[in-house]
Amino acid sequence: MFKLIRQMDKLENYICQLLLCLFVVLLFTQVILRVVFNYGIPWSEELSRFAFVWFVFLGASYAARLSAHNRVTFHLRMMPAKLRNLVELLGDIFWIAFNTLMTFKSIEVIESMMEFTFYSPALDWSMAYLYMIFPISFTLTSLRIIQVNYLKLVCGVKFDDVDEPNLEEDVMSTPASKSEQYGSRPLA
Amino acid sequence: MTAPFILFGMFFFLLVIGAPIVVALGASALTVYLAAGDDFVSLVQTAWNAVDSFPIMALPAFILSGALMQSAGISRRLVHIAEVMAGPMAGGLGFSAILASMFFGAISGSGPATTAAVGMLMIPAMVDRGYGRSYSAALTASSGGLGVVIPPSIPMVIYGVTASESITKLFMAGILPGIMLAGGLMIANYVISKKKGYVSGNIHPPGALRKACKDGIWAILAPVVILGGIYSGLFTPTEAAVVSVFYTLFVGVFIHKELSLDGFKESLNSTTWLTGRVLIIMFTATAFGRILVENDIPGMIAQSLLNMTDSLALIWIIVIAFLIFVGMFLETLATIMIVTPVLLPVMVSLGVDPIHFGIVLVCCCEIGFSTPPLGENMFIGSSIAKVSIEEISAKAIPFVLVEILVVVLLAFFPELVLWLPELFGY
Repeated sequence: MFKLIRQMDKLENYICQLLLCLFVVLLFTQVILRVVFNYGIPWSEELSRFAFVWFVFLGASYAARLSAHNRVTFHLRMMPAKLRNLVELLGDIFWIAFNTLMTFKSIEVIESMMEFTFYSPALDWSMAYLYMIFPISFTLTSLRIIQVNYLKLVCGVKFDDVDEPNLEEDVMSTPASKSEQYGSRPLA
Repeated sequence: MTAPFILFGMFFFLLVIGAPIVVALGASALTVYLAAGDDFVSLVQTAWNAVDSFPIMALPAFILSGALMQSAGISRRLVHIAEVMAGPMAGGLGFSAILASMFFGAISGSGPATTAAVGMLMIPAMVDRGYGRSYSAALTASSGGLGVVIPPSIPMVIYGVTASESITKLFMAGILPGIMLAGGLMIANYVISKKKGYVSGNIHPPGALRKACKDGIWAILAPVVILGGIYSGLFTPTEAAVVSVFYTLFVGVFIHKELSLDGFKESLNSTTWLTGRVLIIMFTATAFGRILVENDIPGMIAQSLLNMTDSLALIWIIVIAFLIFVGMFLETLATIMIVTPVLLPVMVSLGVDPIHFGIVLVCCCEIGFSTPPLGENMFIGSSIAKVSIEEISAKAIPFVLVEILVVVLLAFFPELVLWLPELFGY
């Protein structure tokens, strides 16, 4: 049971990784087919784009779990940690409000799309189902924000700034030999 | 005329209370709709349309291939080649660090990733040879920005998509500015090293370079595959990014035999949240930009600029100062997404080429990587060299000044940017 809950903690991440593999492989197949055989699968570009949209919105939810979304923080850093957490909580409440409004509006949009169905040009899929990502992603993100604030304010977990990496290993003591510490950690 | 006030008021309020940039943009746009009593159905459509785009798919693919190149040992070999090129002249190893950033810039589209890959190897090597710690960190942080000017470049992908300009053309236009920025940094490095007496001496046995090149031949081929494929028109930038993912997998598994399953999984893992947090901004920034355009904010800005002065040179100076200022506080890609819909129409109405503006914008963001308080490259440099951000900032000032000088040159002489793409018929 605990294991299941722990797996749920990275739910979006697992789905995202699958979607990422899916669209990268699809695009690569398409390139090979075009360059080598001068042939194209009509639906592959569309499917990869749809996988990509779902990937982005689920990835945003996972980024919320990691507390990785970019904020302007220079003035917050000067505040005592407690005050900073409270100010950020206020910001997060606006975030949840935004997500909630977007969830309801996207459900409304989906309902109207169910009535007047749009089909995607190549795959002939109903766009209403594809738009389901919005209520899913905005709701999940809200849950993640609540989870992060609970961990931060109640459990006292500290979230490091993901853009300000702390290296566990001291590279300066092993000069010019290893550069693999960042291997696991690409930065964009 | 209240919409812009609500929009900006809400935007700055949310930024100040530490809401994520994506929320500051989205919630302020939403507030405008709510205040006017309008239906915000269009926000849902924007959410889909802003992300459902083939060219932006280059972003996750470039992030993924960059991560894999670290695990596959491609990055390390490229940097090593530049390291053994260090000559005996003043600041020799500093030259190598800049050169390494250029090499790495040709496979990576990210500034912090370039700083990390180059800094990991070059900062310890420089400190070993008696270079100051904070100087070494400042140099790699500044040159790491070359990663986004020398193609391929993630910020150029984002600019190309927001401005509906050809990404391939941007990739072509970035080459010369990248070389100029590198040249400027090299001159600054030479002058400072000479004054401080940083001399590297010949630290590698003869033949070391040949050995490094032989060992790194597959790493050298990576930029050839990526950029050659794009420039020859064989691939679109998105396809080239995907091809480089598979090239890296092939080299990492079969040639270097360094890519582990863990490294692969970790690369996938970090690509998910890095892409998610950046591209969701694409949605809210598009919504934000649309309200600005509907209220003719770009037109008003253009008018007030023209009321102030009619000299394009002066307007460029104002714009560059503004961009560098914004870049000090805001994340790079968010800056591009927010600034482009406002400033691009202004500059186009003044007769500036969109490609030219895009390159200047990306170069300003490049400087933002190494300016406090938010300088992503400095954070990396500081954690590698174990020196404070303040010390690095002080040592980075000459480099930042040289880079600003180059950017001003680029702004004043559009030929520097547009000559190469025109030569190749874009």
